[in-house]
Amino acid sequence: MMDVGRHPRIELMTFSEVESVTGYVGNFQVTVRKKARYVDASECTACAECSKVCPVAVPDEYQQGFSSRKAIYLPFPQAVPSAYILNMENCLGNNPIACGKCAEVCEKKCINYDDQDELVKIEVGVIITATGMQVYDPTEYDEYGYTRYENVITSMEFERLICAGGPTEGHFIRPSDRRAPQTIGFIQCVGSRSRDGRGNPYCSNICCMNTVKDTLLLCDHYPGIEAKVFYMDIRAFGKGFEDLYMRSKEEGVRYIRGIPGEVIENPDTRNLTLTVENTTTGRLEKHELEMIVLSQGVIPRQDGDSIRKLLTLSTTSDGFIMESHPKLKPVDAPTRGIYLAGCVESPKDVKDSVTQASAAAARASILLNAGKTKVEAITSQIDTDKCNYCGICAKVCPYNAILAPDRKAEKAPIIIQAACAGCGACAAECPQDAITMRHFTDEQMMAQIEAILEVEPHKHLLTFACNWCSYAGGDDAGTARLQYPTTCRLIRTMCSGRVDEKFVWHAFRLGAPIVLVSGCHFSDCHYISAVRWTQKRMDRMWNKLDKLGIRPERLRLEWISAAEGQKFAKVMREIEDAVKAVTTEEIEFTMKVLAEEEAKNKAKKEKRKAKAAAEVTA
Amino acid sequence: MAPRETRFKCLHCGHEYTGTYDPDNVTERTCPKCRSNSVRRLPDVKPTEKK
Repeated sequence: MMDVGRHPRIELMTFSEVESVTGYVGNFQVTVRKKARYVDASECTACAECSKVCPVAVPDEYQQGFSSRKAIYLPFPQAVPSAYILNMENCLGNNPIACGKCAEVCEKKCINYDDQDELVKIEVGVIITATGMQVYDPTEYDEYGYTRYENVITSMEFERLICAGGPTEGHFIRPSDRRAPQTIGFIQCVGSRSRDGRGNPYCSNICCMNTVKDTLLLCDHYPGIEAKVFYMDIRAFGKGFEDLYMRSKEEGVRYIRGIPGEVIENPDTRNLTLTVENTTTGRLEKHELEMIVLSQGVIPRQDGDSIRKLLTLSTTSDGFIMESHPKLKPVDAPTRGIYLAGCVESPKDVKDSVTQASAAAARASILLNAGKTKVEAITSQIDTDKCNYCGICAKVCPYNAILAPDRKAEKAPIIIQAACAGCGACAAECPQDAITMRHFTDEQMMAQIEAILEVEPHKHLLTFACNWCSYAGGDDAGTARLQYPTTCRLIRTMCSGRVDEKFVWHAFRLGAPIVLVSGCHFSDCHYISAVRWTQKRMDRMWNKLDKLGIRPERLRLEWISAAEGQKFAKVMREIEDAVKAVTTEEIEFTMKVLAEEEAKNKAKKEKRKAKAAAEVTA
Repeated sequence: MAPRETRFKCLHCGHEYTGTYDPDNVTERTCPKCRSNSVRRLPDVKPTEKK
């Protein structure tokens, strides 16, 4: 951190918040709000004189509330820049100045009560998102008595108590009577790997090794201390971790396989009795402990949604930011020019965070050094003559790659080629057919449909499959030798968002018994939110089918991931049965109705065109 | 538009159920009975106008 602070080519903006991000790869415009700190950081020498005279005392967030801080304070000992900050919410008087003691004693005169937030606009080529995570609040696990018993603490609170720079200067004491405990228990997986509706279903990755480290620290500082760890699995993968775990066991730490069901405090001794089913012995055990540490899991940041919206990113079902590809692009965000590092992407330890940060920096430098970027030739382009400036394309684009049109000025939307990822949702949604997606043009798609349904259309199952998930799911089914009907015919699109309504109508018009649209699960969508437009479009099409007297059951939708080869095969087999149930009369009726509908629409269009031409002439 | 209670119908098994639909935050639909994703949001029934 010190190196970053001193580096001549790194501008460190602490106590600042990103307000907005516009632009695209190589040309991001970022607005940053530099919050007022009421202390001139460049002049402050961190002499602490101001803090000494400040009469306000509030709980110190950094010390987990175990000690207090002043209204003017250093956030934490190693803070960079090493400068004080004045919290105006805690300060006795800003307007009018009721106290002013800190300003009086400051020799450098760096305290300014009139300081204001400042908006700074910067232009950057790439963005690395490393906004981190939060720890899980264990209050909902009421059986552990975190809110009721003083001697039940969290692993973060333990960290402050055992730290030499902590409120007790490294003397580990229990909060109720301030004496060193002789017996201590650690409860693992608090808020992690939970399926009972509390906490989170995922493993928080770091808690096991953090507890192993904590037990070793305790054994080192307090020889003879009795430490017990209650766990469901100890996950000690990683270099040297198993050794560390074994060392902890050798030091005498007892690892008991079982998650406690209850903690009760003895009001006289303030000791805690913990009840647990030891799943190794199959016995119910009671342990009397002087202190309990809840090994809390990690969760995505509470303000993660605003970060996601700012940078047009997507999140997984866990709430962490989704990477572009879990194996091939683990540090790239789906939006080009944005990279991820650390726990913003998933829970990880320091080593993994540093590895990912180094990778993100390397990825960013490749782009910055090249000074240019290659875009796959599957972007969209607009035919301005056809465009009626409705602006749907700009609304649909998950990457904000389309600059909205101006109807009054008759200015067509502009597609930023560098920002377009090629999902094709804009092309599918454009009511004027004014957008063409290169290499997935309407003509090319229609030609594929026609080729598939040229011979015996009633026997074929036409499937639109997205490149990343469903199509790969089909591959998975094939490599696993799973059997699915040979009548299934796949048309690959980059995203299910590209499947235009007219493709489906065309297929039915040509005699398709059933049409299947398949894509990624919402949390896997490689184009942020494009898949949501597929769902909306499907609703529209089902309603229209119903209105036309065609069974909506003949249009199917399935979300199949790349790893769901079995689901792919199962869906295909099920739909094959549905194909057989569609009668020739039904197909003929559909073809007739849709042909009439098309003729009607054509006539309407011609009429509109003629009217417009007449208006122009007039 | 605010989220609202809506009827859904599975086009695979025909199961009908009530769920929440938020037009601003479309979520993945899965039939609770057969796990199919071909779940149609049935059109809202408009209340009949009083004369």
